[in-house]
Amino acid sequence: MQIERTKGYKEIIAWMKKSGNKPFDFQKETWQRYNEGYSGIVNAPTGYGKTFSVFLAIIIQHLNEEKKSRKKGLKLLWITPLRSLAKDIARAMQTALSDLDIDWKVGVRNGDTPVAERQRQQKQMPEILLTTPETLHLLLGQKNHGIYFDQLLCVAVDEWHELIGSKRGVMTELAVSRLKGLRQGLSVWGISATIGNIEEALEVLIPGDIKKTLVFTKEKKKTNIISILPDEIELLPWAGHLGLKMAHTLIPIIEKSNTTLIFTNTRGQSEVWYQVLLNIHPDLAGLIALHHGSIDFELRNWIEDALHDGILKVVICTSSLDLGVDFKPVDTVIQIGSPKGVARFLQRAGRSGHSPYETSNIYFLPTNSLELVEAAALKEAEKRLLIENRVPMLMAFDVLIQYLVTLAVGDGFDDKIIFEEVKKTFAFSEINEEEWKWVMRFITVGGETLGAYEEFNKVSLVDGLWKVTSRKIAMNHRMNIGAIVGAIMIKVKFMSGGYIGMVEEYFASRLNPGDSFTLGGHILEFVMIKEMTVLVRKSKSKKAISPSWNGGRMPLSANLSAVLREKFTEAAYGNSTDVELIKLKPLFEKQQKLSHLPKENELLIEKINTKEGHHLFVYPFEGRLVHEVLASLVAYRLSCISPISFSIAMNDYGFELLSDQPIDITDENVKTILSGEHLIADIQKSINAGEMAKRKFRDIAIIAGLIFQGFKGQKQSNRNIQASAGIFFNVFEQFDNNSLLLRQAYDEVFYQQLEEPRLAAALERIKHSNIVIKELEVFTPFSFPIKVDSLRDNITSEKLETRIQKMKSDMLKV
Amino acid sequence: MKITIRGEEIILSEKRALYWEREKALVIADVHLGKAAHFRQFGIPVPSSLLAADLERLTSLIAEFQPKQLIVVGDMFHHQNHNTDIETFANWRHSFNGLKIVLVQGNHDRLKPLQYMHMDIELYKPNLSLHPFQFVHEYTGPNENYFSISGHIHPGVLLRGKAKQAIKLPCFAVNENQLVLPAFSLFTGLDVGYCIEECDFYAIGEGTVFKV
Repeated sequence: MQIERTKGYKEIIAWMKKSGNKPFDFQKETWQRYNEGYSGIVNAPTGYGKTFSVFLAIIIQHLNEEKKSRKKGLKLLWITPLRSLAKDIARAMQTALSDLDIDWKVGVRNGDTPVAERQRQQKQMPEILLTTPETLHLLLGQKNHGIYFDQLLCVAVDEWHELIGSKRGVMTELAVSRLKGLRQGLSVWGISATIGNIEEALEVLIPGDIKKTLVFTKEKKKTNIISILPDEIELLPWAGHLGLKMAHTLIPIIEKSNTTLIFTNTRGQSEVWYQVLLNIHPDLAGLIALHHGSIDFELRNWIEDALHDGILKVVICTSSLDLGVDFKPVDTVIQIGSPKGVARFLQRAGRSGHSPYETSNIYFLPTNSLELVEAAALKEAEKRLLIENRVPMLMAFDVLIQYLVTLAVGDGFDDKIIFEEVKKTFAFSEINEEEWKWVMRFITVGGETLGAYEEFNKVSLVDGLWKVTSRKIAMNHRMNIGAIVGAIMIKVKFMSGGYIGMVEEYFASRLNPGDSFTLGGHILEFVMIKEMTVLVRKSKSKKAISPSWNGGRMPLSANLSAVLREKFTEAAYGNSTDVELIKLKPLFEKQQKLSHLPKENELLIEKINTKEGHHLFVYPFEGRLVHEVLASLVAYRLSCISPISFSIAMNDYGFELLSDQPIDITDENVKTILSGEHLIADIQKSINAGEMAKRKFRDIAIIAGLIFQGFKGQKQSNRNIQASAGIFFNVFEQFDNNSLLLRQAYDEVFYQQLEEPRLAAALERIKHSNIVIKELEVFTPFSFPIKVDSLRDNITSEKLETRIQKMKSDMLKV
Repeated sequence: MKITIRGEEIILSEKRALYWEREKALVIADVHLGKAAHFRQFGIPVPSSLLAADLERLTSLIAEFQPKQLIVVGDMFHHQNHNTDIETFANWRHSFNGLKIVLVQGNHDRLKPLQYMHMDIELYKPNLSLHPFQFVHEYTGPNENYFSISGHIHPGVLLRGKAKQAIKLPCFAVNENQLVLPAFSLFTGLDVGYCIEECDFYAIGEGTVFKV
């Protein structure tokens, strides 16, 4: 049946017309497909009414139903990754419903929902419920949850591209599999921004042989990318230095814009930029704010509201504002330093000029001159829509264990039924009987070894269903449902009271009384740590260190690196029309004169001998993670030829090995040293995979319920049953090394951290490249930033600056 | 490794214990018996082979030094509840009937007096003084008359190598007033953040004890 002929469709069109709107083609297509019983994914840019594509499909269905046969109860379950998104979507939906005179309720349920509201929902579910993957799992962990879903027609997963690459995506897959088990014929619809593997994203959300479709928009978002060019190109670029020198160039941009968002890559950088902008333009006081993950939740809410109301002129932020509701007043975005990925850059650009047909404006401020090449690459990638893939997680046993215990905490589960459901999900399609049995033993008897787990009590068989009978275990489990594991953060408060934000415990542990640091735009003096709280007072000092939050350094994505190599090739041929590359000409000429400018089918290796020792620089342009592993691999293979030790440094373009002995790499042996043969075996020997797996294991142990996270900043109430992830890791390695959780930790290291597939692809590419080896006496524009980056780890920043100046003047003399 | 403290010969064993020759006393700390079983009761799978490994090490220490007494400086038992691990230990204990076991009570030791009696363990609180040493769970500060031997901290030491390699090892921490024993149980963590003035670390690695 053509949707246009239905009564419901006509009502919706009439309602839209009243406000001068009409549906986009993709919305009509979604309504039609939904009506035909399809599941699917809607792919549309923000601002085009993605929400209304899926939401109105259900409303049309409702309007088409006979009044008599309408039943109360939950019809549409809406899953969003962010709590803050729920409120605004709910408001928009509720407005539409009351305009259309439909007596449906829209409810929000997440960690912030008050108890009274939860109880109301328990008695009578609203027709539409907005929730998060975690809260949905909590619902599945309730007794008699089946009745909540007995009228359910559709599950919608909003921002699916944000969820798919994480364990929260696996949680979503599992929850959807259960809902499908409870309600035969349930429709599942995802809403996603553009990602490279959108077809795969459809398979992940809606696996199996059922009617499914992808709905695309024809409308394309216009993005205007503007590089801020430095007056003078530094021939020897180094990271982080240039950006601040160009801070004054931002002021005119801010002044002519309505509201500007400034994205930095790390929380530390955002603190620095806040201080710098205020210093050079004090008029911004009161109009500038700082927004990142370590800032007080209330304050962040206030900033978001102020953004809505157009009170703020500038907000400096990190990925904390990548997602979330649209701020209408924002018309300009500035990205400081490389965003490291195409998708992230475009997403940030999209924070300005939200509504359809408006253009998004994004300025790119390089923090070193070489980053200008990245700007050119980003423009190119935007033109060709080379968006990164979001790789779905597979075989996350920790999440599966948590899910099964969740079901056991609720009504209990039948392992045969659930096994079939789990096996049908994308994440666990490869699970075999043995692995399933291991998981079941893990939650029922503790583990493999017979008799080694006496008195183990978690899940047991009661009347044919696997259940948790201990109330204490059930309570602990409910409090720990989720797959977001943070670094250990501690609160920062003024001596006189007043909460400022959070810092990593690691950072706090290195502070001495009297030290100054910045947080939330304040310069603070450290006084002491007391009861898991850092106590501070306002500092009079002008200089302060910025807290380093680990995990700030993102590697360059594979897509962006590929375009970047193209751009360097263009530069090598000297035929580029990109303003960035033209500006960089002196730098490229210097590189060509001193050494060589590699083309796409070439790999450049520079051997540089200095007083310090023998340096080997290699430039695969594959991102720092791949370089880290590659550097260890090359170091290992070289040390097999003759005993030699190295120190290693890397950036997104290349890596360095430094030794006190000459490094034996020649035209003859270089291909063997960079070959992809025995790759896994050699990686295992060259890096400390055990240590890396141990670090990964912390998240796994928390998700699988070995460690209780408790609530942030709160004291642990379960002291007697707390042990660190490191202890568990050692215990399993020593006494139960068949544990699938150990295997998972190693798999995560190999496939996510070391990106083994990407490394193999890089080596394959190198195999077919011409390798150019240059022997030099001085550093080049390419090698210099890596050299400087490696100094940074050991030397304080002031001394660093003078040392770099000295190195530069030495080199320019040559 | 042999060291001399206040004229007394002390052997630091790589099996996380010290032996005081003159008194024929084997001294250990932080055994946390029953911890693994307690975890299991709360749904966290920790194998009992851990306890077996601890008891095996204790047995081999007894065979090596033939001590007259075993002094535990606190936290011998993890929790007040009785469980299978404690039963296993009680059985083990009765196969060493000639051995005197002395426990200087720690913050975790909350079994009922009858339970200690049943396992033939002599209880001291807050400390036990055997000149020149005072055995105590948690160090209370310098004392003119006694050198303190304690536990509680689970001391570890961080060794840093090239290329940002670092490894944490259990250790004995010793200065002129006190010695802190490493935790005996394998099911314990290591603290490297404690502060003991002017102290030497004796780290335990691959079957040896070495001064850091």
